[in-house]
Amino acid sequence: MAIASSTRRRRRLSPGTAVAVSPPRRRTELGLLALAAVVIVALYVLAALGKTAHLPGDVGPVLGVMIGLAVVAHLALRRFAPRADPVLLPVGFALNGVGYVFITRLNSHLAGLQAMWSAAGVIGFVGTLVVVRRVRDLERYRYTFALVGLGLLLTPLVPGIGANINGNRIWLRLGPFSIQPGEFAKLALAVFFASYLVERRELLSSRRRIGSVHVPQIRLRVLGPILLAWGFAMLVIIAEKDLGSSLLLFGLFVSMLWVTTGLTTYLVAGTGMFLAGAYYTYTAFAHVTVRVQIWLDPWKDAQGKGYQIVQSMFAFGSGGVVGDGIGLGSPTRIPAVSTDFIFAAIGEELGLVGTTAVLVAFLVMVGSGLRIALKAEREFDKLLATGLTAIIGLQAFIIIGGVTRLVPLTGITLPFVSYGGSSLVANYVLLALLLRISDEVASDEEVGASDLEPAGRGRGRPS
Amino acid sequence: MNRQIKLLGIALMVLFSALFLQLNRLQVLQASSLAHDPRNTRAVVLDFSKQRGQIIAADGTVLAQSVPTPDVYKYLRQYADPGLYADVTGFFSFTYGTDGAERQFNDRLQGKTVPIRSISDIVQARPGSANVNLTIQPAVQQAAAQALGNQKGAVVALDPRTGAILALYNYPSFDPGMLAQHDQAQVRNTWAQYQNDPAKPLLPRAYRERYAPGSTFKVVTASAAVAQAPDLVTKTYPTQSSLDLPQTNKTLSNFGGEVCGGQMPQLLKVSCNTGFAQVGLDLGAQKLSGQAMAYGFDSRPPVDLPAAAVSNFPGPASFVRNLPALAYSAIGQQDVSASPLQMALVAAAIGNGGIEMTPHILSRVTDDQSRVIETYQPQVWKQPLDPQQAAQVRDMMVGVVAGGTGTAAAINGVPVAGKTGTAQTTAGHANAWFVSFAPAPSPRVAVAVIVENQTGVGDAATGGRVAAPIAKKVLQAALALPDAGAAGPAGPAGP
Repeated sequence: MAIASSTRRRRRLSPGTAVAVSPPRRRTELGLLALAAVVIVALYVLAALGKTAHLPGDVGPVLGVMIGLAVVAHLALRRFAPRADPVLLPVGFALNGVGYVFITRLNSHLAGLQAMWSAAGVIGFVGTLVVVRRVRDLERYRYTFALVGLGLLLTPLVPGIGANINGNRIWLRLGPFSIQPGEFAKLALAVFFASYLVERRELLSSRRRIGSVHVPQIRLRVLGPILLAWGFAMLVIIAEKDLGSSLLLFGLFVSMLWVTTGLTTYLVAGTGMFLAGAYYTYTAFAHVTVRVQIWLDPWKDAQGKGYQIVQSMFAFGSGGVVGDGIGLGSPTRIPAVSTDFIFAAIGEELGLVGTTAVLVAFLVMVGSGLRIALKAEREFDKLLATGLTAIIGLQAFIIIGGVTRLVPLTGITLPFVSYGGSSLVANYVLLALLLRISDEVASDEEVGASDLEPAGRGRGRPS
Repeated sequence: MNRQIKLLGIALMVLFSALFLQLNRLQVLQASSLAHDPRNTRAVVLDFSKQRGQIIAADGTVLAQSVPTPDVYKYLRQYADPGLYADVTGFFSFTYGTDGAERQFNDRLQGKTVPIRSISDIVQARPGSANVNLTIQPAVQQAAAQALGNQKGAVVALDPRTGAILALYNYPSFDPGMLAQHDQAQVRNTWAQYQNDPAKPLLPRAYRERYAPGSTFKVVTASAAVAQAPDLVTKTYPTQSSLDLPQTNKTLSNFGGEVCGGQMPQLLKVSCNTGFAQVGLDLGAQKLSGQAMAYGFDSRPPVDLPAAAVSNFPGPASFVRNLPALAYSAIGQQDVSASPLQMALVAAAIGNGGIEMTPHILSRVTDDQSRVIETYQPQVWKQPLDPQQAAQVRDMMVGVVAGGTGTAAAINGVPVAGKTGTAQTTAGHANAWFVSFAPAPSPRVAVAVIVENQTGVGDAATGGRVAAPIAKKVLQAALALPDAGAAGPAGPAGP
């Protein structure tokens, strides 16, 4: 709230004018949201028919809640980020809806909770838009974010509140709820990485000429703190046995470092570090060894350790091109199908058609996110948009690749689709941040065009 | 930074393309092998958790049905009268698959063959599975079970005019309901018990087990003479207690050392071994083997039950250097073996004017609203005799019941044709047979009975004493039914 009160006065255009001058993008968004709602309700009805051959009695309420949530998010954008990208919210909403339909079909007990988490996600979305009025203000709190991010990562290790669920100590038990603080930590760390890297961009990018080759001048003083933060995060993740998040954070860090500097050396060094780290964990940790061996040959122990991935592959194969039809397959035999393996359920019941649609949805998100990054003029905005987009893209790749046996399986949620409150809320917040950047980019363009306030560029002033 | 952002976009594109390729691999290229992998029990579970159609007897008794349960499989298969119909229905087990009618009519019971006839078929919530109506008559089945009691054996009753199987019973049997349970540990237990039982309760003896047919085979030998060497029918065979066999110095004796001989009707009436052995030698391997094959030996009966046994009569070549074997084969010993179903078919063919109808248990398939989807049409399987020849053999068989070894099967007021058989198995043990049909001039039912492993080869253990009374009760039960008058395309020939 501190950010909100300190930044509200600095908005260049009043919200009223904003709505008046920029409805086209929101109109597009409204149309896309309506389309997504139709698809979701149709799937919901089909799922119910597939299971019981009766029209579900709660179509009305479900439709109401879904549309209500979409309308709230849409109105919040009209009010607080009227020029933001029109595609991101409908795509996120559609994925959330498809996930909700599948969770309803897979585990009716989780369905109500997921509806609640969706509402919490939209609240987080609106809250982020209200609080973060200018993305650049986040930059000033970079060390706070670093601390918050690392703190969040550490909390599951704290005795008493931390909880070990399914062999991963990544949970925080608060009353009746279990929270995965790591989901929020990745956002905080992305903000920290972006601001830190941008500030030290010059230093990080400087090269020395050795013979005919340009070699980056690596100054430990520059790289030190970020390596420390990253290494600390990695250690915590390894201690919590959360391979998926570890992979995601590593990928995020390396791609942001590379995008900032443009130095292939970092990419090479990052890959080298990754391979070394991967080899070390493979040999040093039994659970990693098992994961890799299952990936290489799941059939050897198809009824034991390989059961989950084998069942997942059976699900994809049984689904084929058009799928068994929603509610007509038997995806519930895959362990953790509502969370990590929800994509396999989609593969079984909606077939290649459905899985391709989900892939395309993520590609559209990635495309929109990177377009925002390209258009952004301020480096921090650019880098943050890139990082946030990379989180979505990499996370989707890691888990989809895992459940299809393209890469070794590392448990992580499929953004917007999997069951899980922390993941859903964190991804809605991520979406809100991207849309906030998008709105600023569009505003800057307008402002630039009408030359209203040329002095508005640059780093945020201290309040 | 824009260059790097674009490159990052391309990199993510590449990663997602790899995902798309992998999905194509799983969902298109390998889809079939993954879907049909034996370790992928999806299809089995799906079949198991569907509301399967009913199996219904001829009088409307429901023999098998799926009742809703609250567990994941949604339905539990239940069977009427555990053990009574097990050889007909077979079983439906998650772990051990299916057998019997459950296997034979699986597609229909699952609803895979139910046609969509109207829009309401699609819109309404209906089970979609079909009910299978059988020709089995519970009254006849129960009579067979009661008459056989707890003797190890089997009974087959069928309608000679259509091939419709009226009763198919076997003792000891099993409880298919125990194998349909959802608790698979319990099912495995039950299965192991059945498997380890030396009495083989899971074996449907009536159509899947073969026995030496013994003297019941003499009707086949008689048929060969009637059809291919008529002069042998009127030939008078010497009255003796044993027959000197060719190519050896061994002899073939009559049952209990009796002395018998005469013309063929007399030989059959008293079941004369020496006479029929000589008939066999007189016929030659070619004719006897040909007649056996004409009745369906060495072919799988086209019955609509899984894995029916092929009855066996050796090819003519095997007798060339072994004429004693031909003599023994002519009286149903040595290498001859037949299923009870096959022997019932032999009797039925003789009763039906020489036309052997395809045996079947399917009557019709109906949908959940009792609309008929499919009706069984009777078909001819073999024609071992022409009507006149069949009548000749029939008359000899009537003599067996009227005043020969089969008098225990005689029914007051109804002419019964029959033939006894007592086939020695191990020393001191014999299988008692009886094949029959009634009313002899125009039979509505043919019955084959086997009672296994009677101790003592004395008079008490013969087919006439042990099996004929059982056949009589089954014949009576079948004759007591109102005659549907369902004469097939090949109705009985005139007397």
